[in-house]
Amino acid sequence: MSDTTPPLVVSNIHKRFGDNEVLRGLSLTASKGDVITLIGSSGSGKSTFLRCMNLLERPDKGSIQVHGEEIRFKESRRGRELADLRQVERVRARLSMVFQNFNLWSHMTLLQNVIEAPVHVLKVPKAEARERGMALLERVGLAERAQYYPSQLSGGQQQRGAIARALAMEPEVMLFDEPTSALDPELVGDVLKVMRELADEGRTMIVVTHEMSFARDVSDQVVFLHQGLIEEAGVPAQVLEQPTSPRLRQFLAPKH
Amino acid sequence: MDGLLSQLGDYLNGNQVFTVSTLAMYWQGLVNTVQLVFIALIIGLLLSLPFAVMRSSKKAWLKWPVWAFTYLFRATPLLIQLYIAYYGFAFIHPAEGSLLSTFSNNALYPALLAFTLNTAAYTTEIFHGAIKATSRGELEAARAYGMSRSLMMRRIILPSAFRRALPTYGNEVIFMLHASAIASTVTIMDLTGAAYYVYSRFYTPFPAFIFVALLYMVLSFGIQGLFKMLERKLLVHQRPRS
Repeated sequence: MSDTTPPLVVSNIHKRFGDNEVLRGLSLTASKGDVITLIGSSGSGKSTFLRCMNLLERPDKGSIQVHGEEIRFKESRRGRELADLRQVERVRARLSMVFQNFNLWSHMTLLQNVIEAPVHVLKVPKAEARERGMALLERVGLAERAQYYPSQLSGGQQQRGAIARALAMEPEVMLFDEPTSALDPELVGDVLKVMRELADEGRTMIVVTHEMSFARDVSDQVVFLHQGLIEEAGVPAQVLEQPTSPRLRQFLAPKH
Repeated sequence: MDGLLSQLGDYLNGNQVFTVSTLAMYWQGLVNTVQLVFIALIIGLLLSLPFAVMRSSKKAWLKWPVWAFTYLFRATPLLIQLYIAYYGFAFIHPAEGSLLSTFSNNALYPALLAFTLNTAAYTTEIFHGAIKATSRGELEAARAYGMSRSLMMRRIILPSAFRRALPTYGNEVIFMLHASAIASTVTIMDLTGAAYYVYSRFYTPFPAFIFVALLYMVLSFGIQGLFKMLERKLLVHQRPRS
């Protein structure tokens, strides 16, 4: 596969929960080094869209390619299913996700959380994983908290730990699902700072967020979702400063 | 220490109930009780792990047989289960020398069978509850990081469920110890059996039973201490860092 193959291409994604059609044909291409932010009001489908990318939600229609490899589906009596679970597991290991509620494994120390998937999924030798894990914790400013358990850490520390866990996979694309929404306002800054640094070093990131300043300053592309469709997309200067869609204008208008 | 021993000797001298021979009976009873309960708990625990995993499965053919088993054993008194095992197998009159006759000739085996299956049923439910209570977010993270079902079970679900189940399982162990007193009804000379013997021999209910109650208490405290220690070691992640 050539180096110009985009790490993630999703096209025409549809998803319904019962009668509720949440996603109605969404496409997106992330080239290497892209930082794409997904914005939109709650219920617009942005989190579901993100979760379809690593198949935590199974799209009803549409295709997903990770570095040129197409996810295989099969039709069964119950509808569309994943054809090859091994393939999905392999692909997921290349797209790490950072969750709104951190979702660190509570019975493991921070360092154990960081090395768990590298050691047991990627089969990295334990000593090597520990060394890399400590370096990553150092990077997010948590080296001295390596032996703490998640419940002993603040929300901001947990989220920075979760980012270290994501980095430990050396992912091709990082998916962030509202990473600062569950944090106290004074803790948001530390997490955003780490994310800015990642963007600066050329990581490919797809970020669902309500942080407009992050979208404006960091992203290469802003995608505004409305009722399961892409209403407007483009560079932040365009989308956020001169929005054409009235819904986006309303969304960006100062709240009072 | 010497003073204490000689005092004890003086006390035993003038005492008709607690003689060397009755104390030896209590000792034998203690050994039998601990053996019976310990073996039943170990085998029950080993059975309950795969049972709990099956019980938590989405596949009906794995889930329902285990459900029926735990339901049956939790819905009937342990004493009845013991009677069925003990009197039931003896009633069949198995051929002399066969495995089944060895089994039914010694009350210990039927008792072990009943106790093992009973504690396996309760422990299965304890683990099943703990497995079901696994945080959805943690499971999702495991999936998102490429873990397979079995790896997730081994690395995330079981280790955290086991820790969550620990305090409840400690109760089950103490409950089994106390429930084992009914073994004496099928001729087993356990602690209760020994106490009953001493009582009927000397017609001294208070010394005979209060003494055995104290012995059970000591065992219970020992078990509690053991579990406290395990919890301190394994549940660090639930305690705030000082």
